[in-house]
This record gives sequence, structure tokens and C-alpha cells, in this order.
Amino acid sequence: MAFRGRGRGRGGFGGGGFRPAKQEPLELFPEIEGLGTAEYSTAQIELIKWSSGLHKYCNSSPYYYEDRSERPEKVDKPDIERYSDRNLHSGKVRPPLWHFIKLDADHVPTELARGEKKQKLVKRVRWNPESDLQKLDLFEKLEQKHQGQEGTEKKENEEEEEDGGNEEDEGEFSDEGDYEQAEYCDDDEDDFNMADDNNDEPFY
Amino acid sequence: MVSPHGVQLATHLISSFYGDLCSKVCECLLRRGTLTLAQIIRFTELSRENVINCLRVLIHQNCVQAFAIQQEGAFGEAPRIITQYMALFDNMIHKMRAPKFMQIVSEELGKDCLGIFQGLIQHGRLSINQIIDRNEQTAGSADVHVVRESFNRLLIARFIERCPAPEPFLAPPADGETPAKKRGAKSAKIGEERQTTEQRALAAAAPMDSMRFLMEMDDPSEEKSEECTNSVTVGEKRKQDVLKSDEDALDADKKKEVLWRVNFEELVRRLRHKACVSYVKMRINDEAAIVLSAMLELSRHSETRQKAENSAYLSINAIYDEVIKKEGGLGMDFERIRASLEQLGCQCLETGVDENYSIDIKGIIESAQTEEVESVVLRRYGREAYRIFRLLSKAGRFLESDKISDTTFVEKKDTIKILYKLWKDDYLHMEKVMTSGAKQSLFLLWRVNKEPLREHVLDEMYHAALNLRLRIAHEQDKGKEILQLPREKLVGELEKRYKLLGKVRVILESSLMNLDEAIMLFHDF
Repeated sequence: MAFRGRGRGRGGFGGGGFRPAKQEPLELFPEIEGLGTAEYSTAQIELIKWSSGLHKYCNSSPYYYEDRSERPEKVDKPDIERYSDRNLHSGKVRPPLWHFIKLDADHVPTELARGEKKQKLVKRVRWNPESDLQKLDLFEKLEQKHQGQEGTEKKENEEEEEDGGNEEDEGEFSDEGDYEQAEYCDDDEDDFNMADDNNDEPFY
Repeated sequence: MVSPHGVQLATHLISSFYGDLCSKVCECLLRRGTLTLAQIIRFTELSRENVINCLRVLIHQNCVQAFAIQQEGAFGEAPRIITQYMALFDNMIHKMRAPKFMQIVSEELGKDCLGIFQGLIQHGRLSINQIIDRNEQTAGSADVHVVRESFNRLLIARFIERCPAPEPFLAPPADGETPAKKRGAKSAKIGEERQTTEQRALAAAAPMDSMRFLMEMDDPSEEKSEECTNSVTVGEKRKQDVLKSDEDALDADKKKEVLWRVNFEELVRRLRHKACVSYVKMRINDEAAIVLSAMLELSRHSETRQKAENSAYLSINAIYDEVIKKEGGLGMDFERIRASLEQLGCQCLETGVDENYSIDIKGIIESAQTEEVESVVLRRYGREAYRIFRLLSKAGRFLESDKISDTTFVEKKDTIKILYKLWKDDYLHMEKVMTSGAKQSLFLLWRVNKEPLREHVLDEMYHAALNLRLRIAHEQDKGKEILQLPREKLVGELEKRYKLLGKVRVILESSLMNLDEAIMLFHDF
């Protein structure tokens, strides 16, 4: 986050006064006296769940724009892969922007519009990031039984990805199996999909 | 101009939704005002490709509006047309309260409409075909008619609207004054012109009132059903043939796919009415609240401005009909309604037989704002400060320190101390008056200035909201390891920490929602 490092520089400044500066440990959220205690109430839990769902969707959508040049072409896996690293690089597969945003001159200013020649029809736009993963799961299972299914999977790959530097998507498709499996074990999906879950259960 | 903490809050919101690059562009536009593409690239020091893509995302998500303006050529060059981009601060902050908007739609229109609405919140802008497509994948049903019907219901309720023009052209001002060439101009006069330019841009971009909630006639097979809907959708009375000729005139844009987006104005209006009703309920009684909500509902459609000051004049009969429809309003008769109207301070206009009443919405909002500020003062500075502040706030003019001390029965020394504290924190305005003559004495005059105070309080609230969001992010980060574990592994100690994380999150987010209501009270209502 942009603000997290902000306080770090403040720790030891103040030199040039009469006494030497005292190095104080940085407290990001110091205790405030007389603040009182907040009450816990589940009155707005539905709103909170929606908010959480929106955040999650946005973070996995192409609207969460990242610099393509900063993203490494090949993801380096560390020597000893830790459990928390599993989800690190797998969540970066995003559909290209123009799947969702119309980039012709009718809808965006002229200097931002994209040329007509690149406007190929998209066979299937992924509105629901989970729907594809479910299909993949099915394919994974079929693949284990019948070897021939591998051909269909590759064809789906090529059909979906158009030009625009989507090589990393194809390369990472096999990783998605891992990602998707871990996701299913994760409990955040439950609350996004099933509204009748226990109220206490989280909505991370 | 947006207050400093407002800028920080908006930047943080954009960063959490759309990434750091988009937030850099946003911050640049918010801090420096309206800029061209080249200027944005220069100030943000990002690559051209990145800035272009960020602008595409931000425009698509309704956070930025572009417009074309004519710039005078320098030294004999012909004037050229340049595109400028302005930040839409309000829409950025609305991202934070999207769940509240969803709640309104869900309560009023149901699950199907909520699905479409949620898509528009997520994607910013969608065409009808994209909506149908998306619905197929998310809701699993491929029934186009159901989708179109839900879409129409959203249109009728005015929760969605047509998107503004992507790049309207602003003709140069008629009086021949040239707009500022350089962005860095510091004079107030230029600042005023820039303000007008942005307002003009928004007005030019907005779809015509008659078109704003009009369903597009794209499919000839749909035309029949849509013609019936159109006669309901369009706010003004129109004849069928006039409608057709209008559509023919727009033949040129027929090929252009219409994009739809969330109509924040209507949703904020609903929240505003809700806030008024709950304030009245707390301040006066339930009955007055019922009468007020009936009146606001009736006059909702005639509210054209964002912050309407008075409701439309409504006849007592219309009010009565609406009141008995509401729950708890069944038992009310004319006399009780009249009594409530009196309590609400309604202006009565008697035209012959009819009694017409109008309510002063602005007055209610202002009372609510004053009460909010007074409660902050009470909490922070104590009861005596609260008394002093209330006195000054009601007086509305300068009062001298001794007079304040006498009226509020506070010791002179304490009065001065409290007044200084409040003044230092920008809650009061002070002026020194020196009387010359035989006896030279210094008088201190104190006063509450409503407008600067409102902005100051709003800035403090933005700051608080920013802190809350940072804290939520911090707690999420701290508990990262636990959140990534599958549920089976959460036993004993881990489970306790997990539950604690959940509770903390709920408390912080609920506080943020409550604070957001106060922010809306000071900014949007």
C-alpha cells in the first residue's frame, strides 16, 4: 500500500537541536487514551460482505491495472516454496482490458482509442472469474481418466487468447490448476457464492 | 478544490480498487486540476502506455471525464483542439459506498435487478448486450426477456442512466475572453474560469434530459414492447410519432452502442431522504417521520437539482393518500397530519380550497449538520465547550468573550482557554478589536462561520475515513497467514485468532459505514 512506508522516515529525525535526537521505535497505530471501546454488531454484515466481494472482484479484474513491463515473463519460483507463496503468482492472470472496455472512438476520447484492426470479436468474455475455473476443474478430472482431453484444453487456450502478448496466460494455464484447487479449499469463496452461510463465518 | 484529506482518501480508494498506477494518475489530476495527456505523463513520470491505459480504466469507471477545448495558437499558429481530463472526485468517493447503493436497489427492486446493478458497479459501464452476456454467465439463465425486464425496471426507477459523451467539445467562451494557456496560472480570476470550464464540460457531456433514461431502440423485434415501456420511461409526455421522429434524427448514433452506468444522483437522493426521515424520527417523533417520508416520496420525481432545497408543493389530500399507505400511517387522520406538518415547520400555501405544503429539506439537513458538529465538540472538548459553541452557533454573529462567559455561566479564565482551543482547531473565527481613546482595551470577538466550519469538519471526516481504511488494510495484512489457511486447519488457537480477525474487521467496516453517513451529510446532502 502506498501509505504503509510513510512513517518510517520519521523515527530518528530532529537532529540539529540542543539535545541529540532520540531514536524512538515506530508505532504505526499508537494507543489513544479515552477512545472508548467500539461495539460489535452484525447489523451491516450484508453490506460488508458485498464490499468484500466487490474488492475481490476488482483485484482480479483487468481494471486493477498493473504495468505489463514490470511483470516478469517467467515467474521465478523460490527454492523452498512456502505455503503462503502458493497464491502469490497465480492470481495474476487477467483478461485483457479490451475484453470489457470498448476502445473505439465512439466511447473513449480519440487519443485514447485503439485502432479498428485490433477489434476482433471476443469468443467468450470472462464475466465471472470462477466459471472458467470450474470448467477447468472438470477438465482436470477428465484428463486424469482420458488422455485425449488434453487436446480440447489446448484448443480452448488458443481460442480464448488473442493477440496482445498473452503468452504468459497460456504458460500459466497449468498453474491455474494449483490455484484453483487452493481457492476451493479457501473459505472466502463460500461467502461470495452462498448467501445462507453462518453469519459468524468470515467473508475474507 | 478538494480538501487535502479528501484527495488522500480518494487516492487510497482508487489504489485499493484499481491499483497504484491508476491512483497516481488520479492523485495528479486531483492535486493539479484539469490536465492534458502530455501533462499527466510529465507529472506522473509514468510511461505513455501506462497513462493511456489508466485513463481508459478511469474513464470507464466514471472517475475521469474528458473534454475537448480550443486552445489559442501561440505566435500566429492556428488555434488547435486539445483534450483535457478532469477528475470526478464525488464518483471516486462513491466507490466506498457502493454496498449502500446495492442495498437500496435490493430492497426496492429485488434480486434480479440487483444482479444487473452489481455488474454495473463492478464494470462502471456496460452495454445492454454485455449485460445480457454477463447475466448468462453469472446467473446461469439465458432468458433475455427477464434481463430486459429487470433492466427496464432499473431504468424506470432511474437507478441507471446513459453514459455521458466521451469527449464533448466546449466552444470558446462567447465574450471573447481567452482561456488560460498555461496550467500554472495563479490568479483567482483564472481559477474561477477553470471552475466554470469543468462545470461546462460536465453539462456538455451529460445526455439530454429526454434521452437520459430512454431505452435504446436497437432491435426491431423489441420495438413493440419497448414502445410501451418508453411511454412510461420518458419523463415528459410525448406522442408516439414524435418519439419516432426523434429516433430517426438520432439515426447517426444508432450504430453507436449505448453504454449504461449507475445514476449516482438518484441513489444519493434516496440516501438523503432516508437521512432526513431518520433525523426527524429521532428529533420529533415517528408520525412526523412518516409524514415526511410520504412527502419526500411524492416530490421525488420533481426534484431536478442534486441538492433540492424545498420539496414540491403537495396538497393535503395527496399527502394523506400517501401516508395511509405507509406502515404505521394507517391510523392517521387529517388533524394529526396537520399537526405533524406544523412540527416539521412546513410552509403552507393556501390557494382557495387547497392547502399546499412544502418542506424545507435544506433546513433539516442543516440542523442535522449542526447537531453533528456540536456532538463532536462535546465529545472532544467537554460540556462547557459544548455550551459555548452552541451559544455562538445559534447567535450567528460576533460575541465578546465576557458576554460569552456571562451567558454560559462559565468562569472567565476557562472561557478564554476553551475559546482559544476551539479557535486553534479551526472551529471558531476570532477578531481582535482595539478601542482607542481614553481607555485602550482589547476586545476579542468570536464567531462561528458555518461554511468554512463545514469544510473543516468534512476534511476531518475524510481523514478519519482514510485512517479507518488504512487500519483495515493493516489488519488484513497482519492476519494474512491465517486467512490463507483452509478451514480444516483452523483449530484451537488459530481459530480464536481467526474469529478475532473477523470481529475486528466487522467493527472497523461498520464504523466506516457509519462515518460515511456523516460524510454524506456534509458533502452530498
